[in-house]
Amino acid sequence: MEIGIEPFEFMQCVSILKSTGKFAKNLGELRTLISESGDESIFHHTHQYFIKGLILEYTNDFAEWAGATLEERALAERLSCIDPYILKSVSEVRKKLIREIDGFLADFPEPRDVLTGNEFYLNETVSLVFPVGVTAENLEELLIIVEHIDKSSIYYHFFDSRFRLGEGVVDDFSRWIEHGLGKQYLAEKIRAIDPFVHSIESIRTHIIEVIEAHLRTKKDGTSH
Amino acid sequence: MIKQYSGISPNGDLLLIQKLSEKLQGKSFLHINSTREGGGVAEILSRMIPLLLDIGIDARWEVIEGDSDFFNFTKKTHNALQGDKEKFTKKMWDYYYEVNKRNSKKLDLSADAVLIHDPQPAPLIGFRPRSKKNLWMWRCHIDVSRPMESVWTNLKKYVKQYDTAIFSVSKFAKSMPKVDEFIVTPSIDPLSDKNRELTEDEINEVSERFGIPRDKPIILQVSRFDKFKDPIGVINAYKIVKKYNDCQLILAGSPASDDPEGEAILDEVKEYAGADDDIHILMMPPDYHKEVNALQRMSDIILQKSIKEGFGLTVSEAMWKEKPVIGGAVGGIPLQIVHGVTGFVVYSSEGAAFRIRQYLNNPEMARRMGQQGKEYVRNNFLLTRQIRDYLSLWYLSKFKGKNMIEL
Repeated sequence: MEIGIEPFEFMQCVSILKSTGKFAKNLGELRTLISESGDESIFHHTHQYFIKGLILEYTNDFAEWAGATLEERALAERLSCIDPYILKSVSEVRKKLIREIDGFLADFPEPRDVLTGNEFYLNETVSLVFPVGVTAENLEELLIIVEHIDKSSIYYHFFDSRFRLGEGVVDDFSRWIEHGLGKQYLAEKIRAIDPFVHSIESIRTHIIEVIEAHLRTKKDGTSH
Repeated sequence: MIKQYSGISPNGDLLLIQKLSEKLQGKSFLHINSTREGGGVAEILSRMIPLLLDIGIDARWEVIEGDSDFFNFTKKTHNALQGDKEKFTKKMWDYYYEVNKRNSKKLDLSADAVLIHDPQPAPLIGFRPRSKKNLWMWRCHIDVSRPMESVWTNLKKYVKQYDTAIFSVSKFAKSMPKVDEFIVTPSIDPLSDKNRELTEDEINEVSERFGIPRDKPIILQVSRFDKFKDPIGVINAYKIVKKYNDCQLILAGSPASDDPEGEAILDEVKEYAGADDDIHILMMPPDYHKEVNALQRMSDIILQKSIKEGFGLTVSEAMWKEKPVIGGAVGGIPLQIVHGVTGFVVYSSEGAAFRIRQYLNNPEMARRMGQQGKEYVRNNFLLTRQIRDYLSLWYLSKFKGKNMIEL
């Protein structure tokens, strides 16, 4: 390892669901819920949606409920297009959600109630973050660890980082590869993996493919 | 013991259990419920307590005692909390408290953390030792989303005294001031007799013992004979399917010592099934775990067509065995069955029949959904995840008000 480069420390994040006890049975109530809820709840239902690890039709819980339960697919599509990671803060996400719902309500002013039991339940999480106990000092080690590490660790470094590190930072892997290892081209390849259309396992596969391809070209003497 | 889960449970869960056990080393963790056998709670506790002991937690499991008046009353409250209309008198509620008071004198309630399971022992909170700063949690395993209000109001008097309430599904939570409410789904143990791998010989032995021929597809529902599990609805679904596809149905269940209604429902189901040789109704002792495992493994499709449900762990049991599943859209079943991905959620007997026919006629789809189901259970519904969550809640209780804690 080059002198001065900090090793990449793998962390893990486990979240326990906490109920707020609040719920909405129609779109108007959902709007109120979103406007009055704490940041922790908005964060959970948007940013943390990806921890589920399943590729579903929509990209946050509000959109999922609008589409699957309210059966308002046009609204679900609009809500799904909100990227929580490019917005500056949770309150920006909240504003954007409300704007989309208001736009929809302006055209369809009489929201109907869902059947009892299908309401939207507002939650938040309490998260435990801890080191996994493994570090990578170079690209080869990073590759081996990414292949075997728990998926909640991939979530932490690929998704959670986008919020944790603030504007402009995408994921921990590419940040370390660029600033620690000085491999900008490879970092950009990892940043190009679209977080919205892959499951966590498929993101793992893509990261592995990109690093393996890089290591192969390096071996062939065509490294960037 | 916990090491046996390596390679089966997600590594991350095992790692967090190890880290939390270091923090909580030697501390005492008392669980109290109302039956040693029968039903999902007793089953989980019988597996969880040895594992907690193995990781250095001083875990204990106590069971409250009661007579038939007490359990008839708690069964009625169970039904009423799940939405039935029942009649109660003040005398009954007083007796419920009295029995708990009597139990409080016999049980050692001192522990660093206490987890009280379900309504039967809920009043024990009134006898919480005041000498130590300990954590008392109430764990609700049943669907209390639409309870008979007066019953919930009476029970709430006790529940609101707890530090933490734990529900299986978000919509069961109650928004009680001063009580932290968490959502922790229950789990299955992949290494128990009910879920471990079986040899073909073990499966054949069970099918021969119960007289179940393996010459046509088997549809199975495993559950207590309880009206909320809708055994009659399952027979109706089977009868519809039978018009299109030859198949057989197994309804298998066991009695629980805290459920006095089981026998009456069983008689009703037998009468409704009539003289159809392809319907097998099996009443088994509660410790027939390997037999249930074999029945699930020999089946082609597994149902849990409940109309009310706490969580419906038989769904996860079936998914763990890579079986295509169909479940009622109630309680925790939709959390386990991601519709169209890990199984199908249905709303009627006719809907269940339609999905059974789809599976029977699309074996490739059935196989794919079964495989996806197993991975989903691995990541979400194994015992190690539940132990992880309980220990996390215990540890988190020291950081009230914080949403992110570094270990």
